[in-house]
Amino acid sequence: MKDRREGYRFLLPAAVVLLFVTVYPLFYVFWLSLHRRHLIFDISRFSGLENYAFLLQDERFLRALWNTVYFTVLSVGLELVLGMVVALSLQRAFSGRGIVRALVLLPWALPTVVSARMWEWMYNTDFGIINYLLGVDVNWLGSPFWALNAAVLMDVWKTTPFVALILMAGLQVIPRELYRSAMVDGAGSLYIFWRITLPLLKPVILVVLLFRTIDAFRVFDAIYVLTGGGPANTTETLSIYAYKVLFQTLQFGYGSTIAMVVFLCVGFISVFYVRLLSR
Amino acid sequence: MPRKPRKRLLKLASLLFLLAVALTSCQTEKREATEETVTIVFKHGKLAGGPEALRAILARFEAENPDIKVKDEVLPASTDEQHQFYVINLEAGSPEFDVLSMDVIWVEEFARAGWLRPLDGIFPPEEREDFFAGPISAVTYQGSVYAIPWYIDAGLLYYRKDLLEKYSMPVPRTWQELVSTAKLIMEKEKDIYGFIWQGKQYEGLVCNVMEYMWSRGGGLIDEDGRFNALKKENIEALQFIYDLIHTYRVSPPLVTTAMEETTRHIFGSGRAIFMRNWPYAWKIFEREGSAVKGKVGVTVLPAFEGYSSAATLGGWQLGVNRYSPHPEAAERLVRYLTSYEVQKEMSIKMGYRPPRRSLYEDEELRRAQPFIVELYPVFERARPRPETPYYMMITQVLQPEFSAAITGLKSPEEALRSIQRQVEYILKLEER
Amino acid sequence: MSRTLKKALNWLVLCVVVLWSVAPFVWQIITSFKPSAELATLPPLLPASPTLDNYISVFSDRPFGRIILNSLVVASLTTVLSILVGSLAAFGLAVLKPRGGYLFLGFVLTVSMFPPISTVSPLYIIIRELGLRDTVLALIITYTTFSLPLTIWILTNFFRSIPRELYLSARVDGCTSFQIFYRIFLPVAAPGLFATAILVFIFAWNEFLFALTFTSTVRARTVPVEIALFPGVHEMPWAEIAAASVIVTVPVVLLVFLFQRRIIEGLTAGAVKR
Repeated sequence: MKDRREGYRFLLPAAVVLLFVTVYPLFYVFWLSLHRRHLIFDISRFSGLENYAFLLQDERFLRALWNTVYFTVLSVGLELVLGMVVALSLQRAFSGRGIVRALVLLPWALPTVVSARMWEWMYNTDFGIINYLLGVDVNWLGSPFWALNAAVLMDVWKTTPFVALILMAGLQVIPRELYRSAMVDGAGSLYIFWRITLPLLKPVILVVLLFRTIDAFRVFDAIYVLTGGGPANTTETLSIYAYKVLFQTLQFGYGSTIAMVVFLCVGFISVFYVRLLSR
Repeated sequence: MPRKPRKRLLKLASLLFLLAVALTSCQTEKREATEETVTIVFKHGKLAGGPEALRAILARFEAENPDIKVKDEVLPASTDEQHQFYVINLEAGSPEFDVLSMDVIWVEEFARAGWLRPLDGIFPPEEREDFFAGPISAVTYQGSVYAIPWYIDAGLLYYRKDLLEKYSMPVPRTWQELVSTAKLIMEKEKDIYGFIWQGKQYEGLVCNVMEYMWSRGGGLIDEDGRFNALKKENIEALQFIYDLIHTYRVSPPLVTTAMEETTRHIFGSGRAIFMRNWPYAWKIFEREGSAVKGKVGVTVLPAFEGYSSAATLGGWQLGVNRYSPHPEAAERLVRYLTSYEVQKEMSIKMGYRPPRRSLYEDEELRRAQPFIVELYPVFERARPRPETPYYMMITQVLQPEFSAAITGLKSPEEALRSIQRQVEYILKLEER
Repeated sequence: MSRTLKKALNWLVLCVVVLWSVAPFVWQIITSFKPSAELATLPPLLPASPTLDNYISVFSDRPFGRIILNSLVVASLTTVLSILVGSLAAFGLAVLKPRGGYLFLGFVLTVSMFPPISTVSPLYIIIRELGLRDTVLALIITYTTFSLPLTIWILTNFFRSIPRELYLSARVDGCTSFQIFYRIFLPVAAPGLFATAILVFIFAWNEFLFALTFTSTVRARTVPVEIALFPGVHEMPWAEIAAASVIVTVPVVLLVFLFQRRIIEGLTAGAVKR
């Protein structure tokens, strides 16, 4: 019993920090979102749900919401498929495995800002290596069609290693005997994958999806540095829109409203996955 | 033995903490005034011609004012990022810088927010008369001036003299002439772009688009001062810009991501016939070793048939931070940097265009920079973007909508209608 | 499919994966050695006259050394604090098992999902009111908090895997729980602490959103912000950016190569050993 009471003391510092730096600001942001608050011009008045009502007629918001969803679905989908391919082919032991793993980990560990700059340079229409190697003249970051897809590609490059590594760890937990007995029964490798690997890997896949979906949905640095949201806001995600409203014109009311929406969406996504997981 | 890791950890932690404290404090120390001298911090964007030229000018100021030291600090490249820097810091009442350089479109906003020190005392009305009207109106808010114009900018048309001569084409006066001339030359020359300009989603795009609207008799503000984007003239102007890329194909698709330097590089390597840009590019083209040296002509921008040409007013102004701990010293620096002599030096040595009319009569300047002097009428007529404290909110609407219209994501009419609706919402809410 | 064919296919995938991961970075390194005149010409791919100018000008034209120092201080202090606070909580949760511990763990997990954008505006106001704007301290506090969920989660798993007998017998010997924590559990969990520390360090080294908002001068600016806001006249000095990117990537590359196994342990601890 004494243990238990002492336990709280150990939790106290973490609890205090978390409450003060994450929970309190969250309530604060909700409070701000109910205001018309403009720091530049000292305007601050309670406006109820007016900001939320405006969201629905704000084209730019709807556009950003759509961009965010598109980016999330496409990048997470690709990362899962590619990550699975990589994990399956890297799972058996081979010499130099450590170095390969380190190399594969590199994109994940790089500062996002650096990778955005790297890709921005590679995407350059005139002097970019991508156009040169492909022998084309595509304006990757300037065309409304390509820009968001270019951002997806960058994200796939950066986070597929993460996905692959976690899937690999999951694969290693699957008992070898299961494979062996299936092989003895004469099952093909595709059958083994669908009937044994996939079902056993399901919890790990769900965890990966949870992490990645949330991360992709709140994407900020990668796209902010790569395109700044342009052209024509075709790459503007919710986080970028919120940030611009908040810090370019200091509209803390409406900016906080958009930030709240990001929070709520992420909340829904987590609840959805956690439900799936606990089934 | 098990004690060790914790001790080491604690030692490391306290060491790092001390370092953090040291990092926090050492900047403040430097700023503290000793008995004889004060240090003032001057924030500005990166200037053309390297830091040495400005350093020399500041060194002279320090020599003339032995009690003042100037520390100049360069801000990030894009004007939007600079604006964000100022807004965040001024809003927080930061005393960390004293003199700041501001784009024409910011002064009203900063003045309305109460972040700038009024400069009526050091910038009397008689002196203002010597300055061009555009910048003076940009630094005036409710009857007081909050900054002094430092240099002036306006949109210009650069063209390849040699190519026009080769095909004996005249310098285009209308946009349609520009298109047909570009097309003709593009057919004969290999690998050359017709007309390049700044179409990335940023403030430069707004400057570009406004020039087409004005030179078609349109614009965003009606004579009665009301915001009115949705009109025939503006639709046609936007449609024409779209057509430059997609119908006439004289502008390559890359213009939709281009900023000033992108186009300057392309034109400077001889790969374009026409370019819209600010005056700064001229001096770079005329440098030794430039691929287009002696081949470049500059003129006023074309207009639509039957209308007159228009250029967007740009340029930078110097103001004093309201929270500056050394306002008098800061004012002295502003006075000095915007003085006749320094503005003259900046135009001769660095190619910046002075906002004082009288300098265009100066013999020495006329001899050294005939190009700049020829621009007098352009500056006299350059037009401001909407002058309102809410400009930064409005331009956040304009930029993406214009970008959507020129890339074909929206029709010009849709884009303008959307602009009208959003800007009305902004103005209505804030004026209440 | 024959064995050899399968093997060859595996190798092919392997090569493609490695190439794909490394190529962009290699290109950045190549760019960083190009004199600016060569940037606008392709081919040749390799610089005709490689130069170190870009590296030199990164340090001479801007306070890059100071900024790296800021980043190092922020990342190391964050790591230390996060491990300190996090291991305490993890020990409490895993060993002392207070009532409602699971609730707390659930709360921690929830917090880990908070989007930074949702808290940045109030945090900005709070930090301004506390007078911490543009200090490394503001970043350290924020980063420590935002890395805590990860730290607590991984370390709780680690402490749980330590046999409970260790705790009970020490208890019988009359040690207080705090003594048990730092004399027995911390040293035993050292590998776990280390894996966590690397992850936290990388997170703090790379973070951008808060750094962009809370800092404004070289006094506290960190590496990602400097690279994102690289000043040029109107356009990007690509070769210099490349040089700066290579420099700031070095610590990360070192960490990854030296400790790839630990990093992977840390990363997968949360996901797989549920």
